[in-house]
Amino acid sequence: MNAAPALEVKRLSIKFGDFTAVDDVSFAVNQGEIFGFLGANGAGKTTTIRMLCGLLTPTSGSALVGGLGFGDGGLGIKKIVGYMSQKFTLYNDLTVGENLDFAAGLRKLAPAFAKKRRHELFELIGFNKPLSSKVSQLPGGIKQELALAAAMLHDPEIIFLDEPTSGVAPASRARFWGLIRRITGLGKTVIVTTHYMDEAEQCGRIALMRTGRLIALGSPEELKRSAFPGPMAELDFKGAEPKPFISALEKAAGLLELSPHGMRWHAAFADKAAMDAALAGLPPSAAAALIQPSLEDVFIRLVEGAER
Amino acid sequence: MNGFNLHRAYSIARKEVMHILRDPFTLALALGLPVMLVTFFGYAIDYEVKGITLAVSDQDGGPAARRLKEMFSSSGYFLPVEAVPGSGPVAMLDSGRASAALFIEPEFSKKIMGGGAVQAQFVLDGSDNAKGAAVVGYLPGIQRAAQARLAGQALREPFSFETRFLYNPELNSRWFTVPGLAAIIIGLLAILLTALTVAREWENGSMELLLSTPVRPLEIMVGKLAPYGALVLAGVFFVYLVARLVFGVPFAGSHLLYLAACLLFITAALSQGLFISVVTRQQQVAMQLGMITGLLPSMLLSGFIFPVESMPKFFQYFTMILPPRWFMAAARGITLKGADLGELAVPFLALGLLSAGMLALALIKFKTDLE
Amino acid sequence: MKRTLLAFIRKELIQTLRDVRMRVLLFGAPVIQLTIFGLALSTEIKNINLAVISGPGDAMFGRVAEGFYASGWFKRVIYGSEAPFELIASGRADAVLIAPAGGLARSAARGDGRMQLLVDATNLTKARAVEAYARNIISAAAAREYGARAEPALKFDVRVLYNPAMESSMFLVPGVMGMLVCLITIILTAMSLAREREVGTFETIVSAPLSDAEVLLGKTVPYVLLGVMDAALVVAAGYLIFGVPVRGPLWQLALASLALVITTVSIGTFISTIARNQQQAMLGGFMFLFPAILMSGIMYPVENMPGAIIAAAYLDPLMYFVRLLRNIMLKGGDLHVLWTNLGALALMALVAAGAAYKRFKQTLN
Repeated sequence: MNAAPALEVKRLSIKFGDFTAVDDVSFAVNQGEIFGFLGANGAGKTTTIRMLCGLLTPTSGSALVGGLGFGDGGLGIKKIVGYMSQKFTLYNDLTVGENLDFAAGLRKLAPAFAKKRRHELFELIGFNKPLSSKVSQLPGGIKQELALAAAMLHDPEIIFLDEPTSGVAPASRARFWGLIRRITGLGKTVIVTTHYMDEAEQCGRIALMRTGRLIALGSPEELKRSAFPGPMAELDFKGAEPKPFISALEKAAGLLELSPHGMRWHAAFADKAAMDAALAGLPPSAAAALIQPSLEDVFIRLVEGAER
Repeated sequence: MNGFNLHRAYSIARKEVMHILRDPFTLALALGLPVMLVTFFGYAIDYEVKGITLAVSDQDGGPAARRLKEMFSSSGYFLPVEAVPGSGPVAMLDSGRASAALFIEPEFSKKIMGGGAVQAQFVLDGSDNAKGAAVVGYLPGIQRAAQARLAGQALREPFSFETRFLYNPELNSRWFTVPGLAAIIIGLLAILLTALTVAREWENGSMELLLSTPVRPLEIMVGKLAPYGALVLAGVFFVYLVARLVFGVPFAGSHLLYLAACLLFITAALSQGLFISVVTRQQQVAMQLGMITGLLPSMLLSGFIFPVESMPKFFQYFTMILPPRWFMAAARGITLKGADLGELAVPFLALGLLSAGMLALALIKFKTDLE
Repeated sequence: MKRTLLAFIRKELIQTLRDVRMRVLLFGAPVIQLTIFGLALSTEIKNINLAVISGPGDAMFGRVAEGFYASGWFKRVIYGSEAPFELIASGRADAVLIAPAGGLARSAARGDGRMQLLVDATNLTKARAVEAYARNIISAAAAREYGARAEPALKFDVRVLYNPAMESSMFLVPGVMGMLVCLITIILTAMSLAREREVGTFETIVSAPLSDAEVLLGKTVPYVLLGVMDAALVVAAGYLIFGVPVRGPLWQLALASLALVITTVSIGTFISTIARNQQQAMLGGFMFLFPAILMSGIMYPVENMPGAIIAAAYLDPLMYFVRLLRNIMLKGGDLHVLWTNLGALALMALVAAGAAYKRFKQTLN
C-alpha cells in the first residue's frame, strides 16, 4: 500500500449564483480509511461529495481524487470512483440482473469482467436471491446493499456513499456498516455522509460541516478531546424541579456546554475545579455522574453552539 | 356515508392546493393550455376554405376563358398559381404546388358566346378532403355567374331556394368551436391531471401514508379531487370570458344550466381520472390511458369537429357512453340555441347517469383497492 | 460507446415494454385508435334530419323533397303540426325545407319558385354541408323538371385525383398516423427522463464516466426506435385495415418517419429538461402537441389560417410529416415534395436535437 493520500482537497469552494454551498474546504483522506461527513441538512456534505465524484465543477480550489483533478470535466474521476447517491439508485421496475447489466453498460465493462465482479460482490454482500428478482420486491436493506454492489461493479478504489442508510431499519444499518468495514479491509477508501451519530462513531475520521464550511476534522476521539478538554457530568434530577438550578448553572464560570438529553442534562466544564464549584448547589435528590462526551455532544457544541 | 368528516376532507384538499400552488409551472401550464386552445380556435380555425391554389391550362385564350379565370380568382376562394414551365396542371397537383386545376378547351370562348353548352374540366387533389368537399361546393356559384357574364343571359332558374341559418346566421366559426372547447379542457385537465396526481401518490408511496391515518376513502377522494375540480372550473371560466369578451360569442341560454352541465361533466371526468389512477398506479400508464380514454374521445368522438350523426351506426351508439358527447350537445344547445332543461332533457339525463355511474365506479374501485 | 448504447436500449425497452399494460398501450392502442377514428370519423356529413313542409297536393315539391331523401345524405323527419322553428329548436330536425305558398309548380310558373331552407347552424360543418347539398339537389331537380331550359351553359366535369371516391379514411388515416406517432414519442420521452429525475436514478447515470452526448443518446435512441416501430405498425394497420395505399416507395416513408421521430424525441427531451416531474412533462408535452396538431393540416387546411399562423406552421414538424405522408401514400411520392419537406423536417430534427443537447448539457452541470 503506498502512502499517497486517496483524496487531497485544497481550498475547495463552489458557488451557485450568490450562494456559497461549499466554502474553502481543505482536507485529505488516506487510503483504506472510512472518512465521514457529519452535518445538518444543507451543510454542504452532498455538494462536496458530488464535486469529488466529478459531478460538479468547483468554482475555486483544487482536489486530487486518486491522483486526478478536474481538468477533463470530471470524466477521469468518474471512471475511478464509485458513487451511491442519497436517492435510490436502482430501477425498481427492473430485475437485479438487469440493473447490474445496465450499470456495467454505463461503465462500458466487458461482459466477462462484469460477470466476475458480480460474483465477487454477491459474495461480499451475501446476496443469494435469483438474478431475476424484481428490485421492487426486495427488502430495503438488501436493496441498499445491491445499490452498493452496483456502485462498485467497476472495482473502484474510492467509494462515495451519500447517506447510504437513511430510511433503512436499524438491524440492516448495522449490517451495512459491517459491509463498509469489510470493503475498507480490502484496501478501498470509503467516504460516507451520515447524520446518525452512532454511524459517525464508526468512521476513522470525521469532517464536521456547517453552512458550507469545515468546522472540525479528526477521529471521533480527537473531536471529543478538542471540544471538551475538561470533564463532563450527566445530571439526573430524579423528579426534582430542574429549572432553578439550571438557570443558575447557565451562569456558572467555566461552563462550556449545557444541553438537555431526554430527562437528563449534560454539562461540560473547562476543568474539574469549575465543575465541583458549579455542581455544589445541586438539589439533594439529584445525582451527577462523570461521563465521556459522545459525538452527539461534540456535534451540539460545535454545530449548534456556533449558531447560538 | 356515515363518518364522513368534512374537516378531514378539507385538510387533504388544503394539502393538495398547497401542492398546486407550490408548483407554479404546473399551474401555469394548466391555465396556459386553455388560453392557447381558445386563441387557436378563435383566430386560426375557419371552416370557410379559402386560398385554394388553382392551376389553369388555357388552350383557348379567348375573352371568355380570360373572364372565367377572373371569376375564379375574384370569388375570393381561389388563388391562381403560375404553372411551372414544362409541367402541366396535373404535375402541379402531384407536387402540391396547386390543389386544383382547371382545363379550358380550345374553342371555349367561341362556343359559349355563341350560346352553346360547354364543359370545362376541373381536377381536384383528393388527398385533402377537408378542402375537396368545400371546393366542389363553390362550383355552382361560379357556374351561375358564368351563365350571366359569359353566355350573356342569366340562367332562368325555374325554382331556387333561400337558406336561413338559424342561431349562427353568419356561420361564424368561433361561435361553433369556442363553446365546445370547454369539453376539451375538461377532458384534458380533469382526467389527465387527476390520473397523474393520484398515481404519483401511489408511486411515491405517500398514498400508503395517507391510508394509515384514520382518514376515510371518501374523504381522501373528495379532498384530492375538489381542488382539481376548482382548477378545471377556473379554466372553463376563463374560456367563457374570452369567448364572450374577445370573440363576442353569444350566450343565449341559462348560465346556471351551463354551470350544471359543466359540474356534471367535471364530476364524471374527475371520477374517470381517479379510476384510471387506482387501476394503473403508475404515472406513465395513467397518462397513456387517460389520453386514450379521455382526451382523444373528447376531441374526436364528441361531435366537437365531426358530427356524431355522420358516424356509422355502431359509433352513434358507442359514443353514448362518452360523457363529452352529451356535454357537447348540452353546451351548444345552451349557448347558441338558448335551450332550456326540457329541451335538453336527454343530454342532461345521460350526463347525470354517466357521472353518477363513473363516480360510483371510482369510489367502489378505490375502496376495494384500499381494503 | 456501443456497449453503453446497447445497455441503454435494453434497459429502456425492458422498462417500457415489460409491463403488459404499457405494451398494449404502445402497440395496441394506436391500431385501435386508428381503426376507431378511421371508421368513425368522416368529413362527409350524413344522416341530416330533414323535415319538409308544403301545402296539400304539391306534387312537384314532393318530387324535389324526394330528391333530398334519395341522395342518401338526408333522413326523413316525421312530425305532427309543429311550426318549422319548433322542429329545429327541439333538435328534431337539422333542416326544414318549406314550399312556397300556393305550391311550387304554380309559383315557378310565375317565375318565383323560391323555397325556404331553414338550417340549424349550431353545428357549422353540418350547416355548410346542408346548403351545398341542397344547391346540387335542387338544381338537379330543376333540370329534371324543366329539361335543358334549366341547364347552365357552362358545366364543370369534376375529377378527383388520388382519392376519387373522396373517402374520408384515405384522408384522415395518414393524418391520424402522424398525430399518434408524434403524441407517443414526445410524451414518452419527456416523461421517461422526468421520471428518472423524480425518482433519483438519473444521479447514477450522470455519475458514470460518460460524455454528455453518450447520456443523451442513451436516453433518446431507444425512444427513436420505439417511435419508428410504432410508425411502421400504424402504416401497416392503415394499409391492412383501411386499404390506404402506399403508392410511393417505402424508403421515403422510412426516411420521413425517422426524421419526424428524431425531431419529436428531441422536443420531448427538451421538455423534460425544463420539467421537474412527470406531471409537468406531460403538460409541457401538450403545450407543444396541441398547436402542432392543429397547425398540421390533419383536420384543418393550413392555407386557410391567418398569416401569422401559417408562418408558425412552418415551424411545425407534424405539418411537414403529414404533407409527406399524404404525398407518399396517396400521390406516389413526388420528389419535389419529398425533398423540400424532408429537407425542412431534417433541418428541424437537427435544430431540435442540437437545442436538446445544449439544454441537456446545461442541466447536467
